[in-house]
Amino acid sequence: MIKKKQNRVFKGGVNLFDTYSIPFCNIFEEISSDLPPELFNLALPDKQSVKHIIATLCPTEPWALPNWVILGHKTTVFLDKIKEIKTSLFPEAKCSVVISNNETEHISAAKEYAVANEWMEVFAIEAKYPHDDPVVLSKAILNREVNFGQDTLSQGILILDAQTISAIHKSRVLNDNVDSRFIALSGTGLKENEFINVQLGTSVEKIIKNRMKESARCRVFVNGPLRGKEINDFTQRIDWTVNNIVVLEVQDTKVMFPMINTDRLHFTTNLLGDVRACVYCNFCDDICPVNLEPALYYHCYKRGEKQRARLYNLEKCIECGLCSFVCPSKIELLRIIKECK
Amino acid sequence: MKKILSKIETPLNKNLDRIESFIHSHGKVNFLFGAIFEAFDGLLRSSKHTAQTQPFIRNNIDTKKFMGAVLIALVIGWVLPAMYFFGLQCVISRLIVSFGVGVFVVDVIWAIIAREDHISEGGFVSCLLVPAILPPQSPLWLVGLGAAMAIIFRNIMGGVGHNLVNPALFSRLFLTICFPSFLATGYQVPFVGIPDLHTLRYGLDTITHATPFSEFKAEGTITSYISLLLGTANGSLGETCRLALILTGIWLIKMKVANWRLPVSYFGSVFVFSGMFSLLSKSTTAPPMFHLLSGGLVLGAFFMITDPITTTYNQKAKWIYGIGCGFITVLLRNYTTLAEGAMYAILLMNLLAVPIQSFMIKIKYRT
Repeated sequence: MIKKKQNRVFKGGVNLFDTYSIPFCNIFEEISSDLPPELFNLALPDKQSVKHIIATLCPTEPWALPNWVILGHKTTVFLDKIKEIKTSLFPEAKCSVVISNNETEHISAAKEYAVANEWMEVFAIEAKYPHDDPVVLSKAILNREVNFGQDTLSQGILILDAQTISAIHKSRVLNDNVDSRFIALSGTGLKENEFINVQLGTSVEKIIKNRMKESARCRVFVNGPLRGKEINDFTQRIDWTVNNIVVLEVQDTKVMFPMINTDRLHFTTNLLGDVRACVYCNFCDDICPVNLEPALYYHCYKRGEKQRARLYNLEKCIECGLCSFVCPSKIELLRIIKECK
Repeated sequence: MKKILSKIETPLNKNLDRIESFIHSHGKVNFLFGAIFEAFDGLLRSSKHTAQTQPFIRNNIDTKKFMGAVLIALVIGWVLPAMYFFGLQCVISRLIVSFGVGVFVVDVIWAIIAREDHISEGGFVSCLLVPAILPPQSPLWLVGLGAAMAIIFRNIMGGVGHNLVNPALFSRLFLTICFPSFLATGYQVPFVGIPDLHTLRYGLDTITHATPFSEFKAEGTITSYISLLLGTANGSLGETCRLALILTGIWLIKMKVANWRLPVSYFGSVFVFSGMFSLLSKSTTAPPMFHLLSGGLVLGAFFMITDPITTTYNQKAKWIYGIGCGFITVLLRNYTTLAEGAMYAILLMNLLAVPIQSFMIKIKYRT
């Protein structure tokens, strides 16, 4: 059964791959931990509570770990893994596989696979950020309303990415130990963008120490600069939730002729403009994936009526940060939304 | 070009840094020239601020580029065609006066008096619109006064982002009330053909009092649609070449600077309502196509009502806003003695945008 979901199911969002094309080199380096490595140990829910499994093979952030690192060209081998997980762990669950629609090879292989397996559906979606968010995915694919911050398991939906599926297969089905994972390293502050296979429990310092450019001042973000956290404490250890590390240059001096020197400002933490008053340009509500009007919160906040902002469906915000990302007046909309909440 | 710029880059950057630190270390100098330096510096150099909260990367579009796109569209849409139709001297002198008075005198003095920390980019757009909506041979002091009024009015309202109505249209309203005789005359007849040195500089020497719509009201003649579209019929300086305005307007919509709902609803509603009225009383009301192509309607539809600050923020309310503009324009044009209704319609709907917005928000969120 093949369903090609139309774009109208998804609202807003932006294709970041056009703006931030990040070339990775294909050499994988293995990094081992100084301490004995931690083991992958994901607490899986019990058999009955999972009704749907959504396998997201559609990373929407350019700096996230791409699928081919896990899948290679062996789509069917990977789909077999899903099948084995389903039969041994969640026999009653249905499975939806979400693939980015420019990976035609995987889609056609998965389509063929789904014909033989009734329980599986394949969805080809455009890789627009943040359409792989749990709230957006469960709404678009299963038409379930999940609130932001709520665990999708309460609705019986288990969302897994490619690497976690591989790890669950290895540890639960084959009963083998998983103690390392792939991480994508990228950003303007690094000498080279690369993938590493790192043992769980390795410190961030050990990973980025020899890879950062010496000359530039940098900031380090775990799980990307849009949704991730900035870390200042490099002794922090890698666990299973770390998908990628992005190191960005701090461009906090003025750049002459920004129109022609765009490469010096691109993919840095610079605001790329001055803070101005809101001009009601509608960029924020055009791009909002959950159909909100972020400028309303800004005006409530400015008038000092944080209570009032909650009337305008504020709780539906999934904190993807796209409104702050596109704002031409460089207003910190996401911070305002978080404060109003 | 890039090589030349990269040579002067480092010394210029150093000197600008030196001036900046000098200004910031001297309170009185900062008080007088801080905002002017900031505005000049902003044209040459990027911002030095970095993102302190999530998300840590930002899109490469800021208000300068937003306004820059409107400026480019206006230059191609009215400045270049007007130079051909009315002569270089007519257009350039008006632009110099408008920018000189509006941006470089009034805005700068305001920034010093009101102690603003920056001079807004929006002033350029307003000052480029002011001569466009005045007659081609209006006196230069009128243009200067119009630009000054636009900027003063906008700044009194709180600057870009807080102005309730379009400043350029407000200044035109002010001039219409104070100097009605200057706005009813000075409609130079556009030049058509291959220009020689004299016409390239001055255009034609013929001046009339009549615009296509006032001619229709007086005699019932309808100017040919082709000449209205190409700009060979007389009218205000910037509104004649509708073809260029439509093309640049579509470019603005494609760049997402202008919201497509507004021109579509404005044109659509003018067409529908004027069609209805002309069916009711054929002899006294103008046909729909004449409504669409005459007067400042095209300029208004692409550059005035799409001004994001003065419209409603809600997208559905934009439809009501555009339809309201169209309805009032047709009413004023058909049933009053005014020769042009678009300006009053847009100004009135600018004010009505506030209640429309809060009404639509109340419906949407049921508060």
